[in-house]
Amino acid sequence: MGTRLLDSALPLLVLSWLIGCSADATPRDEGSLLTRSVTPTGFPKGTAADRAPADNALTEERAQLGKRLFYDPQLSRTNEISCSSCHRPEFAFSDPNPVSVGVDGRTGARNAPSIVNAAWGRTFFWDGRADTLEEQAGQPLENPLEMDFSLAEAVARVAAEPSYDQAFQRAYGEAPSEATLQKALASFVRSVVSGNSPYDRHLRGDDGDFGEQRKRGEAVFLGEKAECFHCHPGGVLSNEGFFNNGTFMAGGDTGREQVTGRVGDIGKFKVPGLRNIAASAPYMHDGSLPTLEAVIEQYEAGGRGDVTTDPLIRPFTLTADERADLLAFLQSFTDPTLLEDPRFAPELQP
Amino acid sequence: MLKAGPLVFFRCQAIESLHGGRKSEQLHRRSNEGCVKLRSMRLGFSGVVIAGLSGLIGATLGCSSTERADFASAGAAGVSGVNGAGAGNLVGASGSSGAMFNGCPEHPTPQRTQGSLLSMPLHVFLQNQAFAFGQRNALSDGGSVVPLNFRFYISEVALQRKTGESVTVDVLTAAGAPAPYGVHLFDAEEPNSSTLRVLAPAGDYAGLSFALGIGLACNQLRPDRTAPPLTTDSQMTWPHSGGFLFLRYEGRNEGADGSADAGVAATIPSMVHMGGSIAQELVPRVTVAGAFSLSSNSPREKALNVIMDDLFAAATSNLDVSDMSLAPGAEAIAGERLRRSISGLSVFQLEPG
Repeated sequence: MGTRLLDSALPLLVLSWLIGCSADATPRDEGSLLTRSVTPTGFPKGTAADRAPADNALTEERAQLGKRLFYDPQLSRTNEISCSSCHRPEFAFSDPNPVSVGVDGRTGARNAPSIVNAAWGRTFFWDGRADTLEEQAGQPLENPLEMDFSLAEAVARVAAEPSYDQAFQRAYGEAPSEATLQKALASFVRSVVSGNSPYDRHLRGDDGDFGEQRKRGEAVFLGEKAECFHCHPGGVLSNEGFFNNGTFMAGGDTGREQVTGRVGDIGKFKVPGLRNIAASAPYMHDGSLPTLEAVIEQYEAGGRGDVTTDPLIRPFTLTADERADLLAFLQSFTDPTLLEDPRFAPELQP
Repeated sequence: MLKAGPLVFFRCQAIESLHGGRKSEQLHRRSNEGCVKLRSMRLGFSGVVIAGLSGLIGATLGCSSTERADFASAGAAGVSGVNGAGAGNLVGASGSSGAMFNGCPEHPTPQRTQGSLLSMPLHVFLQNQAFAFGQRNALSDGGSVVPLNFRFYISEVALQRKTGESVTVDVLTAAGAPAPYGVHLFDAEEPNSSTLRVLAPAGDYAGLSFALGIGLACNQLRPDRTAPPLTTDSQMTWPHSGGFLFLRYEGRNEGADGSADAGVAATIPSMVHMGGSIAQELVPRVTVAGAFSLSSNSPREKALNVIMDDLFAAATSNLDVSDMSLAPGAEAIAGERLRRSISGLSVFQLEPG
């Protein structure tokens, strides 16, 4: 019996190997694997895969499925908006618009944050209202200002496509569901890792393209005058906390306070990581600052003057040289291999 | 020459912990040990002779000019004590119970596998009222304080038997597992951190003691190679070789009309940043008196109160800390005043009963 089974299955196995498992969308070239990633230097120990929850281990099938979903406008009510509409890879998976445009031209109040290195995040969204990437993944779909759909409807839409059903079966061993749709999206986001900027190499001891000006800028960044390090510690460049950095003004978006209800959280927003910051303008939670120069200028002014501003945000004055050095240092966070990485580019789906 | 402000943590920059790979890491460890050993040696000597010698050795070890100057001036000052907490104390360490010599493993060897769970909810008070995080806390003068960030480490916990014996106990996580590095991080924003748990033998006790912060060995760990609570998202790291903060407070003071109230700042600082050095054992030790008993294998809860009045008073005192070698920010000065004073204060109090 066993021999007969092997006899009948063997040609199929050989054929499958010869055609490279064409039914499986997973690329076999190791260089194109989404799960092939480095750990950014100075980040907490462990790879992006190590950060995945036990019920959603990071696999290539899941990340590839998530990538397909990420670029698929079917997840929006109007079939026009995908995750990638606001998280554009050429802008380090952020949005060059101050606030993103959702279905029917609707706009929200916040700038789409970069998803790069989100695998190491503790909370998600500017106000930290999601504790996991899985929890985060579904919210833009259901936000009326963004994709204005429901998870159930999105699942029904993708489940109608046999190729999607097959991909979900390969990734999770079951048909599409709200849970697996969110898990797949989270898996792709977890695979978007940037760890090859001049700053990363500098931290690894390779200063070949870092230069003296950036070193001086690093000293400003970590020094007592600018004090950037309080929220952006060296290496990881975000302490994952919530602070009122002086952008909030009375009557504006209260940020973290909307989650906690605490008066002390008014105007607090999550500290973003700074990898690829030069590629992800505009800045701040509301996208109100168009350039890094404007960011530095606002911090030098001690914020915009609201009484709720964190006490660590206080006026200081940089020299013109210090300002230029700091800017050069911030630009060293740009990882061109991420911005041009073909693994993250949209592609035709089977 | 006490080091406390962020700028001083640029010492030994040649051993910058984040820069470089394995070789750099080895250099970091070797140089660091050298600096620490040099400092330890210094403690046993005094007099001008050691000044030049210390500076020379410091240079050999690759320490920064600031570090070398510190060693040299230490010898010149002839300071040899480690327990004093007064102004001018060079080291100001509190007799941290040996972490410097035992290392700081992520999974410390438990003191015991069985015992009684003692849970100590940390309750924070100001002016005899609960000090509510993120909320307006009314002050007697009509103003208010909104705490925005408050966190501190507790480690090296010991219970004091009524017989006088000190019993080292294991710090546990909320799940009951040994705490990584034996360290508890209180974070006012994180409810799971609001209780200090230890596993202790049954007996009659007269109080407890602990390090308010982390010992030198833990402070020398790299936050990109460690597990929580010794990671950057603890919000307790200094840049470069500054190690970790021991205590961090930030708050907003408001007048009765809701405006920023500078008057409050005289007694309630807007920021206190205490601790941080990878070259000195700076962690203060706190002793808390209060009788309680633990029964065999029977859990016990006893609140540990944190009295912010005393903490703020120490931070805003006029204690002379001008011997800090570089000019740090006001928050670090406040933190240093607190650090030097706290062992003699009653910031921590066990709830009676």
